[in-house]
Amino acid sequence: MSGIVELKNVVKEYPLGRTVVRALRGIDLTIDQGEFTVIAGPSGSGKTTLLNLIGCIDVATTGEVRVGGQSTGTLDDRQLTDLRLRKLGFIFQSFNLIAVLDLYQNVEFPLLLQGGLSSAERRQRVEAIVDRVGLTPQIRQRPNELSGGQRQRVAIARALVTRPAIVLADEPTANLDSVTGASIIDLMREINHADHTTFLFSTHDSRVMDRADRIVRIADGLLQDDGRGEARA
Amino acid sequence: MNALRLFWVLALRNVLAHRVKSLIVGSILGFGTFLVVTGSAVLDSVEASMARSITSSLSGDAQVYQKDTRDELALFGGGAAFGATDIGDIDDIGPMLTTIEQVPGVEAVVPMGIANATVFNGTELDRVLERLRVAARAGDVAGERILGEQVRGIAATLRKDLEAQVLATSDKVKVEQDLAALDRVLSPAFWTELEADPLPALDWIDSNVAPLASDGRLLFVRALGTDLDTYVQHFDRFKIVKGTAVPPGVRGFLFADRFYERQVKNKVARDFDALIEDLDEGKTIAAEALLQDNVRRMAEQYPRVLFQLDPAQVADLTTRLRAELGRSDGDAAALLQQFLTVDDTNARARHTRFYELIGPMIRLYEAPVGEVMTVRAFTRSGYIRSVQVMVYGTFEFQGLESSDLASATNLTDLVTFRLLYGKMTEAQKAELTGIRARAEVREVSRENAEDALFGGGDEAEAVAEAPVAGAGDAFAIAEAVRAAPASDAVSDRVDPRDFRQGLALNAAVLFEDGVSVDAGIAAVQSALDAAGLNLRTVDWQTAAGIVGQLILVLRVVLWVAIFIIFLVALFIINNSMVMTTLERVTEIGTMRAIGARRSWVTGLFLTETVVLGTVAGGLGAGMAVAFLLWLGQVGIGAPIDVMVLLFAGPRLYPVITLGNVLFGLASVVGVSLLSTLYPAVLAARVQPVVAMTQKE
Repeated sequence: MSGIVELKNVVKEYPLGRTVVRALRGIDLTIDQGEFTVIAGPSGSGKTTLLNLIGCIDVATTGEVRVGGQSTGTLDDRQLTDLRLRKLGFIFQSFNLIAVLDLYQNVEFPLLLQGGLSSAERRQRVEAIVDRVGLTPQIRQRPNELSGGQRQRVAIARALVTRPAIVLADEPTANLDSVTGASIIDLMREINHADHTTFLFSTHDSRVMDRADRIVRIADGLLQDDGRGEARA
Repeated sequence: MNALRLFWVLALRNVLAHRVKSLIVGSILGFGTFLVVTGSAVLDSVEASMARSITSSLSGDAQVYQKDTRDELALFGGGAAFGATDIGDIDDIGPMLTTIEQVPGVEAVVPMGIANATVFNGTELDRVLERLRVAARAGDVAGERILGEQVRGIAATLRKDLEAQVLATSDKVKVEQDLAALDRVLSPAFWTELEADPLPALDWIDSNVAPLASDGRLLFVRALGTDLDTYVQHFDRFKIVKGTAVPPGVRGFLFADRFYERQVKNKVARDFDALIEDLDEGKTIAAEALLQDNVRRMAEQYPRVLFQLDPAQVADLTTRLRAELGRSDGDAAALLQQFLTVDDTNARARHTRFYELIGPMIRLYEAPVGEVMTVRAFTRSGYIRSVQVMVYGTFEFQGLESSDLASATNLTDLVTFRLLYGKMTEAQKAELTGIRARAEVREVSRENAEDALFGGGDEAEAVAEAPVAGAGDAFAIAEAVRAAPASDAVSDRVDPRDFRQGLALNAAVLFEDGVSVDAGIAAVQSALDAAGLNLRTVDWQTAAGIVGQLILVLRVVLWVAIFIIFLVALFIINNSMVMTTLERVTEIGTMRAIGARRSWVTGLFLTETVVLGTVAGGLGAGMAVAFLLWLGQVGIGAPIDVMVLLFAGPRLYPVITLGNVLFGLASVVGVSLLSTLYPAVLAARVQPVVAMTQKE
């Protein structure tokens, strides 16, 4: 059975002036449905680049990236956008909430982009996920009225509201204190267990790594350990 | 629908989130909308007013005249120089009238022609001498004595004025000669001589004294000749003010009332009227040097009153003025000067008393209603033609009473116009043929002229009198009768058929209600072409000349101003939106990462500006509506005469329509969209990866 994410000999190069930086140098990786996987490595190792390729917000220079069975290299911008909208959820290190929208509207935003749901259905789904992340009392507050942890919970709710197959998180606890960070990881872990949603993180926080099913280690653009042997129960 | 709602929420909140930017951009857009709505509403109102003034006074909805002419038709002037406009002739209006009257939707066709002429009624001394001559011929000794007294009175006044010039003149000899002539007229011996043999003595006064009087005036009149009955019937702003309309079947003249009051009226009376008008406008003689000068000049014009009075009237006036001024001495001249030297305290009362005391004694108008006047004009062939015509009254165009421009054209019948224009009647042509036959005049061609003149001996004298002309040219033929009496004894009667045939220069076409002018013009032109008539049809605006094009100039000025404002708005909005785009790169990247398409981002940015434009434009339009409603109540004063014509009166009361508001809003939204296009495209190019790379 093939994974929900498959990378075959993926190379990513960036031009930097007259030189070319090779961020990824031939990555082979498979992520299965429902995995809670961490991509670990030092700064500049290529983990965010890897996440960007899997998240369809960047394309590989060579090699093949398949997400949900679709090869992203053959898709145009519009198809990649639709793929992100329907199959992926994003959690950003800086939360990236829309400042002028309140909590409810931020969470509702991807559903409006998707379309297809009635107003009542959207409301039900948004309220359910907001309740799940524990922010019902703050549902009409704007991001600048929320704490860092609350904002990240909103980001999680926004990533999950479309019920994506994969949630990608780029160092989700980097801007949070340790207690808040732990509670965020607990929340994601809980959702992973409950909904069987695939989570893929980039991090160099050992406390996050401790909670992962699988740790993929990367250094200098090369896969050091695909984590298959170190997967935890 | 929901996505649209999100657009609006995001747009509105972003507008509110960037208050300073929104305020600056919004103010510019709001002001632009205010200007567009106000400007377009005022200009539409001006155009509607102008259409009313011009179409209902002179032009009708359209004008027809010859094709391929040297000058364009300019009913309100502005074409060629005075008297030199050449818009061709319509030699026979019959086929034109028949053709146009058959076009559906045409209410009336009114043939016209404009002639520039002069009226000269001579000086008061001329008039008294003429009456004296009549009295002498009739042996009316009593009349002779009274008129003789009047001549002596005028001579005495002229002598007094001339004495003052002796010291200042460079031609002392001439002044002394004139004084001697006046002394002779004032001597009893001269009048004894005149009683014995009046006509030579009167001729001597004509030659030596009459030229010293300078109160005569050449009056330039612009006369529109037309079928007056049809004109009055269809130009509904026309209204008789003094006298009556010209009765059917006769020739006659109607002065424009304002022209009559300002040009034809006795100089002292109109100077007094003008002074009172200035005072009514709030000016004071004490504060305005110009008014003080006007008062001084008015008082110096006293001979224009005094010369008209016979000795009995002078004595009567002297008594009355003494009582009026509370004096027991002083002659009429001194009293009249004192009476006319007014100040702020007595100007209005004296003005009223002027018309009560002096008005009834004098000819208040140089061409009084009910009298025949002699009008002279240079005909097309260059000779002067004099025509006598009865002044029946004065008229005005309702709403345009205070416009000099609208009052510059007087009205006469088509037959009088043709006489002034130099077109010969059939009777005159027959008379000319008779004269030529009697004089044995024959025409020679240019090629044979030399032989005829110098080679043929006895033929030379006859040929020398013959004009070199093409056969059948009525104007050139008229040269041959230059020696004929200068003032034609033309019948006052008019044959109604003259209005259906013969010469005119142009014709006004009036369409029935509901017929569009453009469609009407097209139909008329098509009918004229089909009938093989070499005539063109132009709309009223074109026919009005420069005046008609003023609205175009005003529109250009307005649109240039609006264009500049919107150009500035465009740059400011563009720059601020580019800045906003740069500030919001992470937000845009996040939206793109989450699943927003490029087109969605473009739409979001455009919506934001449309929201701002709509809100600011709505406020601007609202202010414009309020401003225009207020203007509609108080009106806009016409600062110059031409504006009176454009405003169809001394004030314009602008009207706003929904179209003006919608046009203003559409303009501002259009400008908003245009100015945001580049920033929106820039925003759509933001890559979703930015969301990942942006760190706090």
